[in-house]
Amino acid sequence: MEIDVRHIAKLAKLQIPEDKMAQFERELSDIVGMVEKLPALTGDGALLDETNTMQLREDVVKPSFPREEMLKNAPQSAAGCFVVPKTVE
Amino acid sequence: MKELYRLSAAELSQLLRSKQVSAREIAQASLDRIAAVEPAVDALLDVTGEQALAAADQVDKALAAGEEVGALAGIPLIVKDNICTKHVKTTCASRMLENFVPPYNATVMEKLEKAGAVMVGKANMDEFAMGGSCENSYFKPTKNPWDTTRVPGGSSGGSAAAVAACEAPLALGSDTGGSVRCPASFCGIVGLKPTYGAVSRYGLVAFASSLDQIGPFGRTVEDVELLFSAICGQDMRDATSKPYAYQAKSASVKGLKIGLPKEYYGPGITAEVKEKVLAAVKTLQQQGAEVVEISLPSTDYALAAYYIISSAEASSNLARYDGVKYGYSGRRDGSLEDLYLSTRSEGFGDEVKRRIMLGTYVLSSGYYDAYYKRAKLLQKMIGQEFAKAFTQCDIIATPVNPTTAFRLGERCNDPLQMYASDVCTVTVNIAGLPGLSVPCGMDSAGLPVGLQLIGTKFSENTLLAAGKVYQTACGGFAVKEM
Repeated sequence: MEIDVRHIAKLAKLQIPEDKMAQFERELSDIVGMVEKLPALTGDGALLDETNTMQLREDVVKPSFPREEMLKNAPQSAAGCFVVPKTVE
Repeated sequence: MKELYRLSAAELSQLLRSKQVSAREIAQASLDRIAAVEPAVDALLDVTGEQALAAADQVDKALAAGEEVGALAGIPLIVKDNICTKHVKTTCASRMLENFVPPYNATVMEKLEKAGAVMVGKANMDEFAMGGSCENSYFKPTKNPWDTTRVPGGSSGGSAAAVAACEAPLALGSDTGGSVRCPASFCGIVGLKPTYGAVSRYGLVAFASSLDQIGPFGRTVEDVELLFSAICGQDMRDATSKPYAYQAKSASVKGLKIGLPKEYYGPGITAEVKEKVLAAVKTLQQQGAEVVEISLPSTDYALAAYYIISSAEASSNLARYDGVKYGYSGRRDGSLEDLYLSTRSEGFGDEVKRRIMLGTYVLSSGYYDAYYKRAKLLQKMIGQEFAKAFTQCDIIATPVNPTTAFRLGERCNDPLQMYASDVCTVTVNIAGLPGLSVPCGMDSAGLPVGLQLIGTKFSENTLLAAGKVYQTACGGFAVKEM
């Protein structure tokens, strides 16, 4: 099984250094080879576990975390906002 | 009297309540023990000594004032570093979260604080809980207290090694495919993976949300039960959690039917592990249990289904690490795309990248039906096979791991060999069942072997009762002298 690691990495927003490319290709094709060992099953409606339905709570308005507290972990912030590189020219 | 650090949570609690020892003395004994054995074990990423002594003083103050204290008052606790602890770094053993300080407590931490538990440290783990040896930590590998040239198992290897080395009587881990049971088994202690929905995951850093559960470690079954009963129950901040008030059962296995699935005793399991596990089953039989042979035919496919589902969910969950709101941040002098790419490429380790890419691949256009959908169908089938098996027996007994603890470095370059060690544990997560790992003797190299007991959903009390019977019958579990 050949895996296009460059393409998958791009989708996953990862950069694999050239000197590690061969290793990742080998490992991922081994792993995909292993996970391919699934029986041919067909069916529908199995994607949700009907025996384990989730209980949703009511929406309630309540105070949230203070802004300063949430920004403490931010790599860069200014004027109470997260800073990102310029995205619109 | 034994040293304080050697005592179980139940014994410490009794001494504390009868005023023979103070919470501060207990906390100090734990911190001293950590200082003495950490250089050999490397189980912890952070020791929270100051906070621990302050929390212990609170317990002492409450006791002196005659106030009622919680079930775990004054008991030292170690917490896996993927469980959010307010104002205490929570790194997931990743460069990505090296400096992340949560502004809130996970629900389990709120409950344990209320119960009076005293956190003494945060435990090492495989990065983002991905791994079976604790070697995927960005910071350091943890060593197995029984043989420090060997791995403690993973991913909750720090939690298990810390309890086995008597740094604390209790620890929390998390289990997505065996990450509590595997290290419990390798380190010769007790570990429980609760039923999916038994414990709130609010504040647990997400890996694979349909499989993750927080679970307790201890050196005795009673201690694991004590910690489990303090953390279980519904929480509206985790919509998958269920109402659950734990009720202990009397320690008896009379008439209990134990199923032995032949697929779990095949050629991949070493002879010594098989022999010890079957001997433990025999011990339970001598205590009045019955043994029946059962079959779980889809077991062979479980590993494939597990790695598809868990990696798919991980690729989605870990998309949040973008270098903007918290965590490691890469290049900021280029485009937003450059920031994402550099943040994720520099912040994640190789195993995390492999899993994200596998998940991305199986969810990508044209492959979804072949992988993810088939894995979900297999998940349903595995659940049905367990349900059928439980019409023939009450609990199921299997090995936890195919081998005992392997050497550090031995499997680092072979992801598939590393994944194969999860073969006996992943089915339990896939089916959402509870699984208990109990030590059942040593192999010829003096390394612990683990017995896994699997039950129906929310039957933790049956598993723990059987665990207690075995513990008593075998004369208690060995503790490593260090």
